Amino acid sequence: MMRSLLLGMVVLLLGACAGPAPTTVDPLAALRRADGTVVWQEEYLFLTPPAPWSLVSIEEDDYSIAFAKECSDYFPCQSAMAYAEEPFGYSRDFYKRVPEFFKRFLWAGRVVFGEPQLEPATFDGRPALVARVEGKERVKQQKVSAKVVFARRGERVVGFYYTQWRPEHVAYDPLDEQAFDDFVASFKFVKPSFYEQL
Amino acid sequence: MEGHQRNLYLYDRFNARVVGVSRNDVNTLKFWSDELELTFPILSNPVGHIGMWFGSLPPGYPMFSRKTVIIDRQGVIRYMRNGTPDFHDILRTLKKLNAEEVKS
Repeated sequence: MMRSLLLGMVVLLLGACAGPAPTTVDPLAALRRADGTVVWQEEYLFLTPPAPWSLVSIEEDDYSIAFAKECSDYFPCQSAMAYAEEPFGYSRDFYKRVPEFFKRFLWAGRVVFGEPQLEPATFDGRPALVARVEGKERVKQQKVSAKVVFARRGERVVGFYYTQWRPEHVAYDPLDEQAFDDFVASFKFVKPSFYEQL
Repeated sequence: MEGHQRNLYLYDRFNARVVGVSRNDVNTLKFWSDELELTFPILSNPVGHIGMWFGSLPPGYPMFSRKTVIIDRQGVIRYMRNGTPDFHDILRTLKKLNAEEVKS
């Protein structure tokens, strides 16, 4: 009796292991329109980056929307992109905002950044500023490539962030940055911001 | 504090001024304020009576909690909120108060 009971328990455990593989759920499926764009919080419209990029659940108000991608080839091997309505810093002048931003950006990661390379750009037909910078975490021998697009919504500065973490000896994957550029290029404001309506 | 710094131009627009209050000493606050590059005043109140007046010391708890208070020109408290500031709410209130003032 005991033997058959044990056997039964083993079967149950194995049965639990051999269940159907979890299906991947697209958390943005309900918001996706026929042309593939997503309207987020009735504020922003964009094309989501392709799989395996996935939506990051946001528990803080640092970002308005964020996506991440990971791989297991080495550590760290992760990229992230985000749109922030209130990027770090407070100046409405792009060039003053850059040092304010990088003073706080990835602060907890103990990253030492180089000097950001700045390049004027446009976003939504208005002037923008792209800052590229590489940071090093010497103790863990990791590096991060970051790109931040400072853009304007009304009179305030908004930001798009992109980071790619790699071990110091591993080359960056240019496809991830391309996914970020595509995300930014697709991004539109659906309506005037709270501050524009104030 | 960074959020308030970011909104200073809007506070100006609504004829409002922002002041921070802390129990830290002047030197600590000066260093902190410089580090964050804040341009509005931070008051040092080590005794803590301001926090007590505004009910920021929860019973049985040794530390003051964060609180946002909006006081109108007549000295009347028009808004109070515990915890993280809700900047949208603050700005809506300031806009309303400014409109009241302009009307009167």
